[in-house]
Amino acid sequence: MSEMTDERSGAAGSPSGGRSAVAAGSRFAASVAYFERAARVIPGGIYGSKSPGFLVPGHFPYYLSHARGSRIYDADGNEFIDYLCGYGSQIVGYGNPAVDGPALEQARKGDLLNQPHPAMVELAERLVGLVEGMGWAVFVKNGTDATTLATSIARADTGKQIIIAAEGAYHGAANWCSTNVFPVFMQAEQRDVRFFPYNDIQALEALFAANRGQIACIILTPYHHPTYRPQQLPTPDFIAAVERLCHAEGAYFIVDDIRANFRLDMHGSHKSFGAHPDLVTMGKALANGYPISVLLGSDGLRKTASSFFITGTYWMSAVPMIAALATLDEMERMGGTAHLAALGQMLKEGLESLGLEAGIRARVSGPLAIPYLTFDEDPDLYLNQRFCAAMADRGVFMHPHHNWFMSLAHTEEDIARTLEAARSAFRELGASSAAERL
Amino acid sequence: MKTNFAHLSPEEKSIVARLKASLALHLVEEASASDAGLQTICPTRGVSMKLGIRGAGPALGLRVPQTSQISPTPPGRPSLLLFFPNTKAAVRVLSGAKGTVIPVPLGAGAFAALAFFRKASGRATELLRAPDTSEATRARLLLAATLYGLEAIAGESYLERRMQIVPDGVVSVRAGEIAYRVTKRGKTIQIQNNVAPAPASDSPRPAALLSFAGYRSAIDVLSGKRQAVVALGSGEVHIEGLLPLVQGLFAVLDRLSWYLGVEV
Repeated sequence: MSEMTDERSGAAGSPSGGRSAVAAGSRFAASVAYFERAARVIPGGIYGSKSPGFLVPGHFPYYLSHARGSRIYDADGNEFIDYLCGYGSQIVGYGNPAVDGPALEQARKGDLLNQPHPAMVELAERLVGLVEGMGWAVFVKNGTDATTLATSIARADTGKQIIIAAEGAYHGAANWCSTNVFPVFMQAEQRDVRFFPYNDIQALEALFAANRGQIACIILTPYHHPTYRPQQLPTPDFIAAVERLCHAEGAYFIVDDIRANFRLDMHGSHKSFGAHPDLVTMGKALANGYPISVLLGSDGLRKTASSFFITGTYWMSAVPMIAALATLDEMERMGGTAHLAALGQMLKEGLESLGLEAGIRARVSGPLAIPYLTFDEDPDLYLNQRFCAAMADRGVFMHPHHNWFMSLAHTEEDIARTLEAARSAFRELGASSAAERL
Repeated sequence: MKTNFAHLSPEEKSIVARLKASLALHLVEEASASDAGLQTICPTRGVSMKLGIRGAGPALGLRVPQTSQISPTPPGRPSLLLFFPNTKAAVRVLSGAKGTVIPVPLGAGAFAALAFFRKASGRATELLRAPDTSEATRARLLLAATLYGLEAIAGESYLERRMQIVPDGVVSVRAGEIAYRVTKRGKTIQIQNNVAPAPASDSPRPAALLSFAGYRSAIDVLSGKRQAVVALGSGEVHIEGLLPLVQGLFAVLDRLSWYLGVEV
């Protein structure tokens, strides 16, 4: 504990900025104090998906100071086994020396240079060779950069405007795809985006029919992982229907693999579902948390991509590319997706059976490496929030509204400790009557 | 950025006028329920009246002291219609500035109703500002203004897409002894006030809960003294259940703040 305290004081400084901490004595006093300060100078204090309101205030930290392996440490020094993994970016574990070693060495030599580092070529070759059906790569920073570039290239190539997406899918925070539904954006960037319920082939056919001759592309995640709802895998006929409709329309099929990449299949998550996309976006786990995303495209789109002026100040920085190469090496060395699935299987089976023991029907949906727990009789997520709050109280960080992630740093011991905490958390939920719980 | 009334679209002018009318009536209703002084001057047979604004949809009615229904058709025959010849006049008068309003007697007690409405609307403003107003009363007035404000603006075209993506459902809103049910359905928001807790089997379970730690928290947040997001982070405001429903209503609340900032 003394080591943790020392690290904390070094990393985080004085949270209250010289004033006494708000909520002094609480487990998250420093987090709350930082948040109070943040709210004065940062819109919303913490904006977007990291906002405290997206978790369960009082049970989760707002600020983290450091992490190692499968553990995260907050500004108050609390330790958690982490199942959010930096929203999926950590795939071989926080601070993995196999990645950080070469990355930090390059940082000392120089990161952002006038011209790209040779690692860019190596990484492009590696990804093009790895991800099925792809012939070229463009490196950017965030998922939004990649998805926006993908849809732009599809529009430019086809000369058509309309983008089709699944209801509830997340493709980034740009105006064309975000939930910032202000009329000024709806009349412009959002005007030509159409939605359909995921896996609903009839609705998709109707959408294609209604917009014949105007559809540039359909963008889908490799499977459906909406926020607040159980995850859905594609039905057996769905992907084939998407490809048939795209072919008939002359529209491109984009797989947005930002969130899932390398957790389902090292050759691209679309391979797990037999899909043949024209464009694939990847990010998050690509460099184990170093800032880089990629747009991969088929040979047929190379000419259009070449005609685009593509640039960003930091898009060719060397360190993330070195980190990405090292992450791929480490994934292969550690057994990659099979190991993640095995850990995920232990967690899924454990949680579902512990729920039943406590008389609660809990269901883990989605791929084993990207699980999400929901409760059959609780569509409004009261139980999710109470369960995840109870887990956080026991030192396990499971997000109540966003899918979780397995990483190669998770161990069987971590899973065992998690399930022990879950046994107690389920009991806590089960001990209350249904009326009290709901 | 403050917006001047003259720069609003016809729809926005209509909404801001209707919003002001709704808030005036609801604040009178709440003040009448909270303030002993107003209760003593309320005519013995009560007050039933309407506010009508040309260009702002059907008239809104008020009946006190009974638990009132503020709607185009309040129970009982109204004795008074306050008619505003245009939306600008309504916004000016209902904001406390000078403007044209035509009292139209509709039955016995019209002048008593007019006198009561003037006193009660003035008293409601005083209660919101006076330092000796109890926290419970101030919280009650602010919650009424906020929630009925949401109800008044929910149908506007600016919010149409927002209302489409916010899931339908009921939010239970609580601050101390004050309880409301906010029902979001399609493009509409409906408010029920002073809802007693009901057994789960008797009424649909709210999809979400929004509660303030106490009257002080409600006052600080609803008066803009404390950012809602900070209150949420520090535990003074608690939300539970279907968060997109509550967060969607926060977005409507932002629009309400914009309307309340319109200058005329």
